[in-house]
Amino acid sequence: MIQIVIDSLIRASELALLAVGLTMVYDVLRFPSFAHVEFGTVGAFIALAVASLAPDHAWAVVVGATVAVIVSGLLGIGADRLIFSRLRQASPIILMIASFGLGIAMRFTVRAIWGPDAHGYPLPLQRPWLVLGGRITPTAVIIIAATLVCMLAFHLLLNHTRLGVAMRATADNAQLSEASGIYTERIIRLVWFIGCGFAALGGVMLGLATQIDPNMGFSIMLPVFAAAILGGIGNPYGAVVGACVLGFAETIGLSINWAPLLHWAGVTAGYLFIPTGYKQAISFVILILILLVRPQGLLKSRVS
Amino acid sequence: MIAFLVYLFTIIGIYGLMSLSLSLQYGTTGLVNLGEVGFFMVGAYVSAIMVMLGGLPIGVGLLGAIAAGAVFGVLMALPIGDLRQDYWAIVTLAAAEIARLIFLNTNLGSPYVGASYGVAGIPAPWQQHFSTAAYGYVYLGLVAVCVACAYALVRWVGRTPYGRLLKAIRESDEVALALGKDVRRARIWAMALGGGIAGLAGGLFAHFNGFIGPDYFMPLETFLVWAMVILGGSGNHLGALVGTAVIEAIYNSTRFLDISQAHASLVASLRMVLIGVLIILVILYLPRGLVPEGRRRYGGSRAAQR
Amino acid sequence: MLLSVEGVSKHFGGLTALDEVSLSVEAGQIFGLIGPNGSGKTTLVNIISGFLRPNGGRIVFDGQPIQGLEPYQIARRGLCRTFQITLNPARMTVMENMLLGPRTQRGESIWRAAFEPWAVRKDEAAHLERAWKLLEMVNLHHHADEYAGSLSGGQKKLLALVQILMAGPRLILLDEPVAGVNPRLIEDIVQLILRLKRDGQNFLIVEHNMQVVRQLCDAICVLDMGRVLAQGAPEEVLARDDVLRAYIAAGGQVGEQAG
Repeated sequence: MIQIVIDSLIRASELALLAVGLTMVYDVLRFPSFAHVEFGTVGAFIALAVASLAPDHAWAVVVGATVAVIVSGLLGIGADRLIFSRLRQASPIILMIASFGLGIAMRFTVRAIWGPDAHGYPLPLQRPWLVLGGRITPTAVIIIAATLVCMLAFHLLLNHTRLGVAMRATADNAQLSEASGIYTERIIRLVWFIGCGFAALGGVMLGLATQIDPNMGFSIMLPVFAAAILGGIGNPYGAVVGACVLGFAETIGLSINWAPLLHWAGVTAGYLFIPTGYKQAISFVILILILLVRPQGLLKSRVS
Repeated sequence: MIAFLVYLFTIIGIYGLMSLSLSLQYGTTGLVNLGEVGFFMVGAYVSAIMVMLGGLPIGVGLLGAIAAGAVFGVLMALPIGDLRQDYWAIVTLAAAEIARLIFLNTNLGSPYVGASYGVAGIPAPWQQHFSTAAYGYVYLGLVAVCVACAYALVRWVGRTPYGRLLKAIRESDEVALALGKDVRRARIWAMALGGGIAGLAGGLFAHFNGFIGPDYFMPLETFLVWAMVILGGSGNHLGALVGTAVIEAIYNSTRFLDISQAHASLVASLRMVLIGVLIILVILYLPRGLVPEGRRRYGGSRAAQR
Repeated sequence: MLLSVEGVSKHFGGLTALDEVSLSVEAGQIFGLIGPNGSGKTTLVNIISGFLRPNGGRIVFDGQPIQGLEPYQIARRGLCRTFQITLNPARMTVMENMLLGPRTQRGESIWRAAFEPWAVRKDEAAHLERAWKLLEMVNLHHHADEYAGSLSGGQKKLLALVQILMAGPRLILLDEPVAGVNPRLIEDIVQLILRLKRDGQNFLIVEHNMQVVRQLCDAICVLDMGRVLAQGAPEEVLARDDVLRAYIAAGGQVGEQAG
């Protein structure tokens, strides 16, 4: 039971930071960025490159993550200047297509540099701790803790700084905030920086929890979208909640014996579990259901 | 070299069918289908299953592929009929991925067939009558005929009042609704048509390649087809075929160069980077694509009446 | 009675957009729906034409209740509308827009287009003939092969009007037909609508421009904050104090041009 909670939280942490970044960009720029998760991939690899300079030292990974966040944030601003800023008047679909062109370019650049194989962060072998009957590695603890710390920092940024207030205003109404003297272009650049920075950090978390390979971002793209949309586009807290919901749904969905439920539909079986191969499908199904039934998300999102 | 060109043009033809399918869905009707590979996959598997497990002739298998693609299109379109474009995009992407996971996890008949093993040994039609060299031309001919038919079909649709309705829906529903058109039904039919054409592509691919597996049907395939349609010019079916030829040429271009094994992966990656950059450049600088959309002119008809 | 709106209400969350609105439109007259900004006119038009569902009330058109029907079903029964911001598909030509007009076209079903090609071609030829006549009436025939998106604002309004005439509806809901149109063109549009009325076309017009309302409408209804303030002949209604006050309170003018 505790193990389910632990596994769910780990999965949620893999998704949360990526989802928060995505929800911000989706809200302010008004299109779903298919390149977003690739900033995560890039971040994970940059952190790997830095950490490999001092293997077996945990602090190297921290330094690597920091570098990754900054570089990824700058890359995000660069992408905006080169591509998306020229498409401010274009329809969301055009922006979306440009973003998946960018995503392909980024993913395969990573693959060109580092090759198609999987890697792991050079950390010493870890012994899982026993917590309340469940197993958790120190790395996993760090992942969950780091995610929480980031969310807290982000919350403070959004609510207690002028920058944060300006960001929320821009998201609400770009023209209005431009007219009232807040420089929208500056805010947009900030959103790209933070959004891609979060993505990079999310990528590092994902790499720590699973593995690092060029397809890692792409493979997690739909669950990240699901988390962001579940929580309501533009609602960063919602994105975290969405990530938790998905984390729990995936883990619990696999552990539940569905046989009694199907008994009512006339299927008799001793036990019936969802095969692990379908783990991702759980997120996909939730994503489809949410978009069909309540696309504005479960939590209060901004009216668009 | 000739054999390679025959192979290349066959692949261009098969992907060209998918481009035509997407051109009809997105170019004509404005449906942002990011699950295009789903039709391809369903067509491939259904044809392979019908032929190998059902013992049916390949022609019937291909018809089954068309039907399967069309049905998948209807199933996708039914629940999401009025969804806005970006949500439609995400839902179709998810739907295709779910379908792929189902195929990945389901054995077909025997324990080593289907699922992650894929389906091997898919027969090709009339193969026994020809030498290997000549057979390449035969299959190319088959694909070419299919492409010609599909092209004629989508061009014809564009000239009917139904096609006009699809173009009207492309930008927004409201005017069409206010003029009494059943917009949902029109969309569903567009998905059925597009799905059928792409399903045929899948069936042709299965019998051409002899082997299919879930790895052949990743979302990347959909993005490649999108690159083809965007490059060629959405709204123009001929442009879709031109875009297909260009992208496939790039994709297969480096087979000419003598590359050592070590560099093969690097070159493969760089090809894809080029395609990604190409998409961005087209969006920024050539938004209408290589071949712009033509328009139907009626001025002449007035002159004729006078 | 052509159209009867009975006690229609609409809420958006806590906001009441329409509160028990009732009005009736007779055949053979041009009915005007006016009111200051935010009074609920567009909401009411959206509800009548099926683009929004009311929370309460009934709408009866030509003797049949239509509330709750899909917009295309209402349009098929003969009630069509234009949009405040002209939404003519910009990437279709003017003529293609016109040919889109007729309501139920045989050729719009893919099956019938495939199996009845000659009948479809005959229909198309007939529609084409009508379209040319209508385009000539509004002087747009020289632009027949241009993209609708390249027309001027006033031309787009004209196109929307003749497009909806192609649909041949019993009742046309015109949503601000002269908004943003230059004054010379406004007069042309007014004369066109009067001519069409003489030929038997029924209109329900939503307008801000009081001069146009006085010229065109035989009966008007004033909405204010979601409620019917007054109904009747324009001369009487527009002279009423409460109507004038409602407009001044909302910052508008009842005199010449309102906007």
